[in-house]
Parts: sequence; structure tokens; C-alpha cells
Amino acid sequence: MPVIEVQRQQLPILDSPNQGARFYNPDLPSSEPFVPGHRTCAGCGPAIQYRMTSKASGDNTILVGPTGCMYVANSSYLCTPYNVPWAHTQIGSAGSFTAGVAAAYEAMIRKGKWKGTFPNIICEAGDGSASDIGLASISGALYRNHDCLIICYDNEQYANTGIQASSRTPYGGMTTFSPPGPKVPEAKTLYPKDLARMMAAGHPHCYVATASVGYPIDLMNKVRKGLNHRGAAYLMVYTPCQKGFVYETPRSIDLGRLVVECGLYPIWEWNPEKRAYDYSFRPQSMRPVSDYLKLQGRFGHLHAEHIANLQKFANEQWRMMGVELPEALSQAADVKNQVNMAAAAEAEVVAQTL
Amino acid sequence: MATTAISTKKKTVRMNGCVASAQAAKYADVDVITAYPIRPYTATMMALAQMVANGELDAEYIVADSEHSQLSIAHGASSSGARVFTGSSGVGVQFAYELYSPISGSRMPVQMMIADRTLDPPGDFGSEHTDALSTRDMGWLMGWACDAQEAFDNHLMAYRIGEDPRVLLPQMVCQDGFFVSHITTDVELPDPGQVKEFLPPYKHPYPLDPRHPVSHGPQIMPEQGPPLQLERARAMEGSMTVIEQVHDEFAQIFGRKYDPWVEEFMTDGAEVVFFMQGGHAVTARFAIQHLRDEGVKVGLVRLRTIRPYPTDRVNKVLSKFKVVGVIETNMGLGSVSSGGSLYAEACAALYESPQHPLVISFMAGMGGEAIVLKEFYWMTKKMMEAQKRGKIEKRTHWVGFEE
Ligand SMILES: Cc1ncc(C[n+]2csc(CCOP(=O)(O)OP(=O)(O)O)c2C)c(N)n1
Ligand code: SF4
Ligand SMILES: [Mg+2]
Repeated sequence: MPVIEVQRQQLPILDSPNQGARFYNPDLPSSEPFVPGHRTCAGCGPAIQYRMTSKASGDNTILVGPTGCMYVANSSYLCTPYNVPWAHTQIGSAGSFTAGVAAAYEAMIRKGKWKGTFPNIICEAGDGSASDIGLASISGALYRNHDCLIICYDNEQYANTGIQASSRTPYGGMTTFSPPGPKVPEAKTLYPKDLARMMAAGHPHCYVATASVGYPIDLMNKVRKGLNHRGAAYLMVYTPCQKGFVYETPRSIDLGRLVVECGLYPIWEWNPEKRAYDYSFRPQSMRPVSDYLKLQGRFGHLHAEHIANLQKFANEQWRMMGVELPEALSQAADVKNQVNMAAAAEAEVVAQTL
Repeated sequence: MATTAISTKKKTVRMNGCVASAQAAKYADVDVITAYPIRPYTATMMALAQMVANGELDAEYIVADSEHSQLSIAHGASSSGARVFTGSSGVGVQFAYELYSPISGSRMPVQMMIADRTLDPPGDFGSEHTDALSTRDMGWLMGWACDAQEAFDNHLMAYRIGEDPRVLLPQMVCQDGFFVSHITTDVELPDPGQVKEFLPPYKHPYPLDPRHPVSHGPQIMPEQGPPLQLERARAMEGSMTVIEQVHDEFAQIFGRKYDPWVEEFMTDGAEVVFFMQGGHAVTARFAIQHLRDEGVKVGLVRLRTIRPYPTDRVNKVLSKFKVVGVIETNMGLGSVSSGGSLYAEACAALYESPQHPLVISFMAGMGGEAIVLKEFYWMTKKMMEAQKRGKIEKRTHWVGFEE
């Protein structure tokens, strides 16, 4: 039996990673594995992420799409937006189906049944898939260290089924399964599962990172680092969903920056060689959480105490990142310094009609 | 078809059904194996793990985190162009349930070995066919072996049938837990050259290959559903011709001739017959031989393939007899006969026959109990009484609970 050594891709890392979305980087590849022709909402964060991610990966790529908006809203029979091979899989099969693809290519190349360089194998799982129903399957793929990249495009809810709470929905987030009401004024009472950190802690041999659509070059570089890493990698990307977050469509990228600037979405990398976190990423400014919350209808019902709770949560994230907390942010965690959302009363009425 | 040169590396080795299945996977040169432990099929995966560790078989061996993952791994690997082997038993078969339709719907010829096990509750290691039968309408080719040799042969034939471009369907290759999976018999292992001649390498027409991008399984509108479902139904129906061809070719190359649909045992001149599938047929043959010596006109029709269901063949064969006793070995709670699910299918197959035999459902071998000779004698007596009366006493008998 012939045993052929598997050749793998090494993608270059781009300069200026901390630039905003309007910065033009001439080194961006021109290939577009994710093209128009899908049915996602205007300004869909996950779709913007999809384009950046697949662009970073290039044409020798296979995409796996568990059920969720990036399956249902992206692909229509006889008209799909994927210029590279793509397969749907079940919502709980994110890690397992992807592992099967990776294992197939390992065996087929080694045994001389397929000739070529090992493809970039990327799974695009929603947060519902990644944090709940497909969690074990992803953990299995990371644990076994298949050469693949699992991305959780985190829109902080089950979007495709009509906006329901997932383990990633933030405290205070209104969804159809976590509505506000007189007994539960804050809507979602639980804080989000710390999924990316769970993946890093449990699978320290993997490259693990968080990213946001607000920082496209950083996102693309992390995609490439994950793909270049020999073995499994996991990337969690903040991807706002205008349908569920209820904001003005053109503000998707702004939200992607604000969420980082207010400390609700820490951006970091886990370095598997050093077995250490890299917290060096810094947004250009720091802000109170209310700057971010007030742009979204899903937080429109929040009262002063809930906003203070979220500020406390954000402050903990800053501390964890090793950032010295400005006095203004400590102050903002005190309920005395917060006011109810301007439209809190109206927001509750609207929520009742859903 | 070219005939094989004299095979030099053929050998007969004693092994149980589980090991025979593992050997078949090895001869098929599978690329990806995925395992999750559950008795009794585990022994197949243990044997394969050892073969990979010894370097006898070059395959990716993936210990999955669940059966759901096992089947998803198999689906992904098969979609990429690899030949895949997996398996399970009992509740494990059901834990993976979501994947059966997606795999057949995407027309991926995944192969799954089943060593049957009773479903919970309560925990029971014994064989009952309910595990695999509960998936019987999901678009998988499905059949039962009654001994280790037949299991080995079925695996090779199933790959050949399922991977045929006219078919492209997954296959469940079943054997009774313990009665087949853990009983050691002689198995003739072929010369690798014979297998090469019989089973060409797996080549899916539309794999996930970056050089020829395709999309698998996009979302459809309701009106696109019917043609896709019809196509899958036609693939299942169309597989019947391929199944017959492959059985003929298998006989030519390996010298073992199986009727693809039913085995008839001592049916010449028989008036009452057992209709059953799986390992208990071995005991049935003994019982029938003994009864025949005493002049009782009893025979056996053993179903080898249940998906696709050989309706016309079952109709033709069973119509010859006066009474058919279906041995269920599965649970169909609240079903047509309030017994098992094989009865309803046999009756439906017989419906268009001008001469209906009487049909009785026997709940025997439940929980993995052996069906012993005296139970076969008792069931024969029930069939003969019905024949004499010209009428059944009742549709379903729970064997061992009645006089
Ligand atoms: C086994 C199973 N349970 C439930 C569903 C229904 N379902 C379809 S899409 C979806 C939402 C997925 O949420 P997420 O993974 O966050 O992706 P998003 O829709 O937000 O992009 C659900 C629950 C399903 N398809 N399969
Ligand atoms: S509902 Fe949200 S995630 Fe889904 S397509 Fe619309 S914007 Fe994108
Ligand atoms: Mg989501």
C-alpha cells in the first residue's frame, strides 16, 4: 500500500490587523468563495462574516454548514452562494460531520485515492449549534484534533427559528423564549456560556480565538492562523443579527466594534504552543455598555439595575483581560448612575404583542 | 464477467459474526471507521482497532463522542469520497436516528453493521430486531444474515450494491446479537484478488472536492420535495435489479450462491411454513428436519433482504402454503397484529394473491431469549390446528405464555 505524505496549506498573515472595516488592504485575496445569491437579511452579520472568512481561506476549501441561518437563508436548491464545495449537516453534527470530511481527506491522500494539497475544512456553526445541541460534537472534533477550523458565528440566539434564547444570549436580551414581563423585567436572566474559553480550557492543544465582524483583518488573520495550525482550531465571531437585535441595518459593523469597545465581547487568542492566552488586542476606545445597548431593540426594556448588572459583567471581562478600569466604568456599574432605557415602558408593550 | 484465477490466499478461519464483519471491512479496504461502544457490536470495532494498530488496515479510526456523531462522521467522510464503515446495537442505533434520512437523502453509501440488541427498558443485552427495524423506512438497504459467513458475504455485497451509481444508498447489514455476533463458526476468507475483482474502489459522482465544487443538501421549497423524494424512492426500487446482478456475480467469483430475497428450506410439499429473518433460522432448520422425519409438512422461508421489500417474491412464495407463521423477534406495540411489525408487511405482500394463506404472528425470541426446539414444535402445532380449522385462533401468540 502506498503511504503518501499529506501536503498542507500555509496562508500568509495580513498586515494592519486592528484596522476598521473601511480600511482597504491591498493584500486581500480577490477570490470570492461566498458570492451573492443568498436570502439573508440586509446587513446580516453572519453573512458578512461568511464572506470574510471564506475569502481568507481561499478556493481550496470545503465548507460545512449545520442547520441555522447560514444554511437556511444562504442556500436555495439550484442556487447556492458557495463557490467551493459545501455540505449541509444536522444542527447537532457541526463537529462530527466536519471531522468526517477531515478524516476522509487524511485517508484518501495518504492512500493515494485523492491527489492534491489538503483542503481547508471549515465548519460554520451558529451559536445554538455550537453552544447547545452540537457542543459535544465540536468538543469531539477538537479533542481528536482533526485538521479543521470550527467557527461559531455568534448572533447570540437561535435566529433562524424566529429568535429564541440560546446559551449565548446575553443577560437582559429579549428573545421570543425570553420575553420581558412583570415577573421577569430583565428578560433573559442567565449570563452567556463562556463558550470560547471552555473550548480553550478543554482542548489546550487547539488554536482558539474570539473575533468580531467589526475588525475584518483581525478576523481573517485568525481564520488563517486557525487553518495554518496543524490540527483543530476554534473561532468564535461576534456577528450581529438585525432581525433579532433590532437595529438600523447599516450599523452591523459599528455594533461589531461597539461590543468590543464596551467590554462585552473580549477579543483574545489562545496560543496552543505557549499554552497561554494572548490578551494584547485593544480597541481604540473604551465605552460604557449603555452606548452599545441603546442601539438595539432587544435591550429596549432594560431598567437601570439591569444596565448596571451588564456593566459589572463587562468590567469583569476587562479585568480578566488585564485592563485597568477607568473610573467612569466603575461608576457606571453603580445603579445610582444608570437610568432606565428611554423607551423601556414602550418596549415592554411591544414585547407583549410578539 | 471474467472468472477468477485459481485463488491461492483463500483460507478458512474460525470466528464469530462480529469478527467476520470486521474482516469484511478490512477486505473492502475501508478508509474511515467510526466507533462508539455498545454491546454486542463493539467486538467488531475492537477487532478493527487491532487491525489498524497492527498496520493490517490503513484507515482513519475515529472514536466518536456518540452514535449521533458516529453517523455524522460517516456522512461527512462518505460525502468526501471515502469508503466508510460504522455500526451499532440497540439504543445506540436509535441515538443516531436523526442521521438516517439525511444520509440516504444525500445518497451516500455509508455502511453500518448492526448486531441487534433489545431496546431499553430495562437494560438487556439480548437480541431483538426492533433496533434496526425502527429505521426501516429511512431509505437504507437492509437485510439479515443468519451466520458469520453470510454476514461476511453480505457486507461485501452491500458495499457493491450501495455504491453502484444506479443505487447510491446506505446499507444496514444486520445480524442477531450473540446468536450470530458471538457464535464462532468457520468462515472462508477470500483471496484479496477475488475482492478486488468483485468490489471496485468507491467513486461517488459528486463528492465534496475543491476541484469540482458542488453544494450538498441546500434548502428546498415544498414543491421541490416531491421530485427529490420520488428519486430516492426510485433508487430504492431500482436497487432490486442491481441486488440480483450482484448476487449472481458474487456466486461466480466466490462460489457461494444466495437467493437475494428469501431462503426456502424444505418447502417442497410443505403446507405450513415459518417466515422469519436472522439467526433463529438455524434452529428452525433443525426443528423442521426433525418434524419432517415425523411426516409433518413444515418448511421455512427466511427473509434475507427486508429493504427493498421483495413484495412480489414474498407473495409468490408464501401463496403456495396453507398457513404462514411469522416469527417476529421485534416489537410493534399497538401495531396491526398488536405483535411485531413483520406480520403487517407479510400480509400486505399477500394481499393481491388470489389464494391467501392464513397468517399468524408469533412473538418469540423476545428480549433475546433463544427460540428453542420445543417452541418451534409448539408453533408448528398452532399452525397445523389453524390449517385444520381453516381459521386462525388469534392473530398473535406470545410464545411461552400459552398452553
Ligand atoms: C435537531 C433539530 N432541532 C431543531 C431544529 C430547528 N432549528 C433550525 S435552525 C435553528 C436555529 C439555529 O440556531 P443557531 O445555531 O444559533 O444558528 P442561527 O439560526 O442563529 O444562524 C433551529 C433550532 C433543527 N433543524 N434540528
Ligand atoms: S435573521 Fe439574522 S442571522 Fe438570520 S439572515 Fe437575518 S440577519 Fe442574518
Ligand atoms: Mg445563532
